[in-house]
This record gives sequence, structure tokens and C-alpha cells, in this order.
Amino acid sequence: MDFPIFHIDFIGNRMLIAFDAILHVIINHALAVGALPVIALLEHTGIRLKDPRWDTLAYRLLKIIFIITTTVGALTGVGIWFSASLVNPAAIGSLIRVFFWGWFAEWIVFVTEVSLIMAYFLSWQSAARSAEAKQKHLHLGIFLAAFSWITMAIIVAILGFMMDPGNWLAERTLISGLLNPMYFPQLAFRTTLAMVMGGMTMICLTYLFTRNDFGFRASVLRLVSSWSIAWMLALVFASIWYYQVIPQHMFANIPVAVTTQEFVSWNSSLKWLLIVGLSFVGWVLWSSVKHPGTVHGAKYIASVLLLFAMLGQFERVREFIRKPFIIGNYMYANGIRVEDYPLLQRDGILQHATYASIRDITDDNKVSAGREVFEQTCTRCHTVNGINSIRSQLKKMYGDKLWQSDVIAAYIENMHGARYFMPPFPGNKAELNALAVYLSTLQKRATAFNGVQINGIPKPDKISAATFYGALPNLDAPHGVQK
Amino acid sequence: MNAPIPRDIPLPLPAPEGLLEVLLIVSFLVHIVFVHLMVGGSLFSLICQIRGLKTPDYEKLAYRIMQTVTVNKSLAVVMGVAPLLIINTLYAPQFYASSALIGDMWMAVIPLVTVAFLLAYVHKFWWNHFINIPELHIGIAALETALFLFIPLIFMTNVNLMLFPEYWPQVKGFISAMLLPNVLQRYLHFISAAVLFSSLFFIWWTGRKAFLQEAQFSKLRVIDVRRFFYAFAFGATILQILTGLVVFATLPAQGMSWGFTLLLMLGGATALPAIWWMWQNLTRPDHLLDDNFKKIMGCFVGAIIIMGIARHDYRENTLADHKTAIAEKTANYMAAVKEAGEAAQLAAKALEGKATIPGESEFNQNCAACHHATLPTVGPSVQEIKAIYVGDPAGIAAWTKSPGKKRADSMSMPGFPHISDDELAAISQYLLNH
Ligand code: HEC
Ligand code: HEC
Repeated sequence: MDFPIFHIDFIGNRMLIAFDAILHVIINHALAVGALPVIALLEHTGIRLKDPRWDTLAYRLLKIIFIITTTVGALTGVGIWFSASLVNPAAIGSLIRVFFWGWFAEWIVFVTEVSLIMAYFLSWQSAARSAEAKQKHLHLGIFLAAFSWITMAIIVAILGFMMDPGNWLAERTLISGLLNPMYFPQLAFRTTLAMVMGGMTMICLTYLFTRNDFGFRASVLRLVSSWSIAWMLALVFASIWYYQVIPQHMFANIPVAVTTQEFVSWNSSLKWLLIVGLSFVGWVLWSSVKHPGTVHGAKYIASVLLLFAMLGQFERVREFIRKPFIIGNYMYANGIRVEDYPLLQRDGILQHATYASIRDITDDNKVSAGREVFEQTCTRCHTVNGINSIRSQLKKMYGDKLWQSDVIAAYIENMHGARYFMPPFPGNKAELNALAVYLSTLQKRATAFNGVQINGIPKPDKISAATFYGALPNLDAPHGVQK
Repeated sequence: MNAPIPRDIPLPLPAPEGLLEVLLIVSFLVHIVFVHLMVGGSLFSLICQIRGLKTPDYEKLAYRIMQTVTVNKSLAVVMGVAPLLIINTLYAPQFYASSALIGDMWMAVIPLVTVAFLLAYVHKFWWNHFINIPELHIGIAALETALFLFIPLIFMTNVNLMLFPEYWPQVKGFISAMLLPNVLQRYLHFISAAVLFSSLFFIWWTGRKAFLQEAQFSKLRVIDVRRFFYAFAFGATILQILTGLVVFATLPAQGMSWGFTLLLMLGGATALPAIWWMWQNLTRPDHLLDDNFKKIMGCFVGAIIIMGIARHDYRENTLADHKTAIAEKTANYMAAVKEAGEAAQLAAKALEGKATIPGESEFNQNCAACHHATLPTVGPSVQEIKAIYVGDPAGIAAWTKSPGKKRADSMSMPGFPHISDDELAAISQYLLNH
């Protein structure tokens, strides 16, 4: 409402964030949090056994980690901000106000992490000059691993908060937001999963890099597999914990049967993926500890992919149970606060949407007004023609029958009841009807739907010249309507 | 003049505004210095590579320079996070608006920077692979440099656009925002600063004792390399002052004030003695080349701090009215929200008092979305259901517990196993009787 609406109709806005975020999380878990301890472990073993092969391998692995994390890894991290602030500025703006110091601390840890990884990687060769220097260098690696974990621990707090602000709604302090009820189970789950993912990824790369030295390969694989299997045991407990906390917690918030059913089916798919995936990964790791060198590389790769899939599904469930909110019980996914609803449903959302070009709906402007209502209330999740397009949804519901606007209006009015993942419609009756009329025209013809990055914004209205920027709309007038 | 007045995020700032502003100025300066070293370094590496075609020692120099670029680029990114965070906090209504208006190019920053960084690594780690294919060797460097030069233009466009809400309605996408009257000259001012600061950095860097050993030149004398950078620093400073004057002359009037003008003049003036000292260094014999280096650096450190403060001052001046208007509008709006919320609560209370029909609220909660009174929506209308199940509430309950698939052209209805039998009975009665 308060921001010009950026919209990509083809891949959809949510997809933009999802793609960037998933890539980032995978790199962060598999190549930073989970992999850096393994590098330190290899370096340590090399020092202990006085065998330079360990050191060379660790350096080669670190080079890959270094290149990917300081390019794609770092930039997708910044990308989450960029995309979130384009797609849902109200939400990211609110989160930043609450979590500013959390993010600031995160930034300091991040600076430390990047400086450490550069120091660790770039000083690797010069550290070989003396045993003392080498020992110092190893300490750098351990610090680095610790810092990359702390970075994740802070971010998880913010993610947990978005799902369930816990006491924050009443207290509105940073600490109450950070210590929300989901925090520890999520952190335990992510930490252990990341460790297994990182171990597995390093195993795959080791397999690739040791094609010419089978004896050495076996000893590395045995070590890293034992390390990973220990984390794997912890992961089993963490999953059970997570699984027990989340559903009970969410069921309390979810009113409708459909919800529970869909949620159960999502979560049980995660459960089965976890059970099957963890058994398989556990089995691969176990055989790799027992008979390293006989396990085929394809099994390692399959394990890594399974772990990625688990992480992906976990993120989906996490996102899913958050809906229809973007910040639990405070703001809906359309960027409108729960508190705003009574006003908007009374006055109409177009009256209060800064960048709308139509304020009052008449018989002549119904379709274009409906388009604006759609823009304000549905485009954060739906496209017109692309992914999760409103046309395909309507087609699924009404097929080739004539799409009648009063039928559509009757649906939208109650849609949050049956399709709980959508927020209630935030406008008034006239806007509901205009929206329905606009949607019904889509059966025949849908003109391209562009955001402000192409269309621009309309000239500001009803603001005369009192301050440099004009007089203010008088919301004290009866009914608070902007006139 | 007329500008859109949005509302602010209705949550308090996380810290006093003054503190955030100080943090913003400081963290931005640190960020921008590394950006200068990254952009300028990349440019110099390219120049040295091209010179290296004739004088092979320059090729070696280019390689050394490239190694600083990959470090400085990482620092540029991490240091950029803090000012981004603070801009998001302090200028949410303006910054999010201008970002959205150039949204696709703004988003493109992420892949563009990623590609530029990857190219930088390819360039550095595979230096010796490509060295004998000059087209590729120089081509990669040129592409990487071109990206490094273009990306700041996107940032410049955005931070300029956010200052002038009255221009927003006329902007249609990135190009039109880039062509607003004062973006390109600010960009040139930035580029000459990048050359200036990276030259100064390389003068220091090539002056270290270890450098001679690192570079392993066969013929080239380090002193000549350093003169080369001095010459660039000298030229860039003059360019910097000229572009600065152009920027000043074309800055839109709304942010101008005497204080700001004074700051700018002061910042610019600190460059004058530096020019003089650089000229002296350049014209003197070799062993005196560094005589004034510390003084020169002192001048520029002073200049960059003053400019950082001036830049912020201008932004605050420009947005002062807009911010006041936003604050007032937000307050008005929040009052209206509160009033409407209370009215709605009263209305709900009034309704509560009235006797409710059993089954009605359950029906509205669970079924109404798909079953309209008279119209077939997702499922059949209540009218139709009534007609099918006259006098058979148990039939409705049974269907609802485990629905079948009847109508070919409709989706199937989800089951409601969790609704209790009593509730179901009430819903069925309600359906048939109303
Ligand atoms: C929180 C994001 C979100 C918002 C906001 C949202 N929707 Fe949806 N909507 C969804 C999702 C997710 C689906 C399910 C997609 C699927 O099943 O593939 C959906 C499905 C639908 C369907 C098909 C429903 C069905 O029963 O199959 C319609 C119609 C629809 N939305 C209309 C709208 C309209 C109109 C608006 C704006 C008033 C809107 N939505 C706002 C997320 C949203
Ligand atoms: C998500 C949408 C949806 C919701 C919510 C829903 N229904 Fe249905 N309902 C349908 C659809 C679709 C059909 C048509 C199914 C078919 O013909 O295959 C239907 C059909 C019916 C029928 C007619 C069965 C027949 O014999 O023709 C009854 C009765 C019914 N629903 C009752 C209910 C009750 C009671 C509720 C609330 C507890 C409810 N429905 C909630 C979608 C829904």
C-alpha cells in the first residue's frame, strides 16, 4: 500500500525470492557451516600425521569453498534483501525495524567471517614455513568455522520470528522476538543437517580429487564419514524434536480442516523424506566407515541430493505453515497489517493505497479499478499469466463455463475460510465487485500485467501546495476518507 | 511541485536517528573506499595488461594488481551491507520506492556482481592458462572491468532517484531514471574518485619493501611504476575537481543550503594543496618521490570525510519536507486505523449479544467459501444441496465426513474428519433450514 508495486508476471515474485534463498541456504549449509569444520579437521589430521597429502587436499577443498562462498554465496545473501525489499517492502522494512541490532550484529559477524576466510585461504601456503605458524593457521580455521555457525544462528532467530513472533506481539522487544518458541528446535535441526550436508559434500569432492591414490582416499573417507555419522545421530534427535514442537504449535493457530489436512500431507512428506533419506544416508555413511573405498561415488552423490531435497522440503514446510502471514499474526503476506483491516474494509484499500491511480469506483472504471485492487491485494502471491497465475486458478475452478463476476465475488469474500493460506480480502464491497469483474474479463483476454518498474507510477492526486510537498490528506474528516 | 507522500513503516526506529546517521556516514565511507579500490584496481589491471603487450613487466604488475582486486571486492561487498541496512531503516519510504521504480535493473545487480566476481577469479586463478591467448586474456579483463564500471551506475541512479520524490511519477524504468538531470555527472565524479583513490593505494602498495620481491620485474624499475601511478593520481584529482564543480552546478536546488555549500567548498579546497604536493613529488628526483605522500594522504582523508558528511547533509536537506509530510500522514493514518479498529470491535460486540443460530458460525467458518446461498461457486449452492437432501440431514453429515466425487466439471470436495458429530448435525440442520 505504501510502496510502488514491483511485479514480475512471468516467474512471479515469490519465485524470485525462493530461487535466490534456496540457493543461498544450500551454499551456506553445505559449503560454509557444514564444510568449514571438515577443512579444519583435515588440516589438523595432516599436522598430526605429518602427511602433506591431507594438507593439499584440504587446501583444494577450501579453494572451491572460498570461490563459491565469496561470490554466489555472499551475493545471494545480499540478493535476499534486494528481492525481499522489491517484493514485500512493508514486511522487510518492519523486520528491519525490529531486528536492526540483530542484523547489525550479524553484519559484524559476517565481516569477521569474510576476513577470516580470506586470511585462512590466502595465508595457507605461507603458513607452511614453520610448525608454529601452521598451528596458528589451524586456529584461524577453527575460528572461521565458529563464526560461520554464529552467522547462521542469528539468521535462524529472524526466520523463526517470522513464523511465530511469540511474545513479541505483546512486548515488541528484540529479545522477546529472538527467543521465540521455535528457535531452539530449528537451530538444532539446521545445525545438524548442515553438518551432515557439509560432510557429505566434502566426501563427494574428496572422492573426485583422490582418483589416483586409493589408500589415501580410504583414510580420508573413513575419517569424514565417522565425523558425519556422529552428526547424523544428532540430526535424528533434532528432527524428532523439531517435528514434535512445530505441528502442535501450528495446529493451535490453524482453524480449518482443509488446512490441517494439507499441512499434514506436507509435513508427512517431509517426515517420510526424513526417514527414508536419513536411513539411506546413514547406511551409506556406515558402509563408508566400515569399508571406505568400496562405496561407489554415485551413492555419495545420491546422499548429497537427498540431503538437499530434505532441506528444500523443510524450507517449503516452514514457508507453508507461515501463511497467510508474512510476520505471524502481525502482517499478512499481501503486506497489510492485521490491524489495518477494519479501516481498509470500511474505506476501501484504494483510498489508502498511496500509489493507486483510481480512488473511487464507478460503473465506467470497474475493470481498471479491479486491476488496481488485484495489484494491491493479490499480486504478492499470484501472477496473471505466469507461475501460480490467477487465470489458471480460475480455470481450475470454473473451467470453460462463463466466469461470472458475482460467483467469483462470492468466492473471494470467503476464500480465507476454505483456503486458509490466503489472507482475507482487505477491501470494501465495491472493490470486491470490481476485482471480480476484472477477474472475469481474464477468461477472454489478459493484457500483460506489469509492475512499476515498467509502468511507472501515476501523478499524485489531491495534494495541493502548502508545504513544499503539498498539504496533507485530512484523515480526521468523518470516516477518515481521503478527500 | 508535487510528490507522492507514502506512509512510513509504523514501528519506532531501533535507535536514535542521530546515531543511525553517524553509523550510516561512517560505514558508507568505508564501503565506498573499497568500492573505489575494486573498480579502480580492475581498471588499472586492464590498462597494465594492455601495456604488458609491449612491456612484459607490466603484465606482471597487472597480475599483482588483480590480487588486490579480489580481496578488495570481498571487502566492498561485506562493508556495503551496513549502509544498506541503515538506508533501509532510515529512508524506507523513499528507498523502497526508488528501488521498485528501477526494479529489474536493481535486481540485476545481484547476478551482475556475481558474474563480475566469478570473472575476477577466473582471471586471477587461470592467469597463466590464458596468457598466451591475448584476446581471451584481455577480453576477460575487459568484460570484468566493464561490469565493475556499470554496476555503480545502477547504485548511483537509485540513490539519486530516492532523493527526488517529485521525479518519481515521470520515471519509467531504469533508463529514464538514469537520464535524470544529475546522475551522469555524479557518476563521472565517482569514476574519477575511483581512479584517484586506487592510484594513491597503489603508490603506497608499490612502495612497500616486499613489493620488489613480489613483482619480480625483469627490467622495469619500481620507481617508474610509482611515477606512473602518481601521474594518474595527479590527473584524476584535477578531473575530480572539475566534475565536482559540474555536479555542484547541476544539483537540484531543493537540497542546497549555505552550510552544505561551505562543506563542499571546504572539501574541494583540501584537494588544492594535495595537487601542489603531487606536482612537487612528480617533478623531483627519484629519492624524493615520497616526500609529501603523508601530507597528500592527509588531505584526501580529510576531503573524503568532509564529502561524506556533505553528501548526507544534502540528502537530509532534500528530503526534509518529504519526511515531515510522511510523518504527519503516518500519524493521521494510525489514528484512523485505531478509530476504525475500535468501531469494528464495538460492532462485533453488538452482534455478540444477539442470539446466534446453531450451526451458522460453523458453516461460515468451514463451508461458506465454497457453498454460496444461491450461486454455484466452487461447490454447488446451498439451494441445490437443500434440494438434494430434503429431510435428510444425516446424508449431509455422511457426505461431509467422506465426500465422494459427483460432478464431473467440478473439483472434489475435501473431507472434514475433524468436525465433531454434533457440530456436523448442527451444520446440516442449518443448511436445510435456511
Ligand atoms: C499469501 C499469498 C496469496 C495471496 C495474497 C492470495 N493468494 Fe490466492 N492462492 C494462493 C495459493 C498458494 C493458492 C493455491 C495454489 C495452488 O493450489 O496451486 C491460491 C489459490 C487461489 C485460487 C484458487 C483456489 C482454489 O480453491 O483452488 C484463487 C481463485 C485465488 N487464489 C484467488 C486469489 C485472489 C483473488 C487474491 C487477492 C484478493 C488472492 N488469491 C490472494 C496464495 C495467495
Ligand atoms: C474447498 C471447497 C469446499 C468446502 C470448504 C466445502 N465444500 Fe462441499 N462441496 C465442494 C465441491 C467441489 C462439491 C461438489 C463435489 C462433487 O460433486 O464431486 C461439494 C459438494 C457438497 C455437497 C453436495 C454433495 C452431493 O451429494 O451433491 C454437500 C452436501 C457439501 N458439499 C457439504 C459441505 C459442508 C457441510 C461443508 C463444510 C463443512 C463443505 N461442503 C465445505 C467443495 C467444498
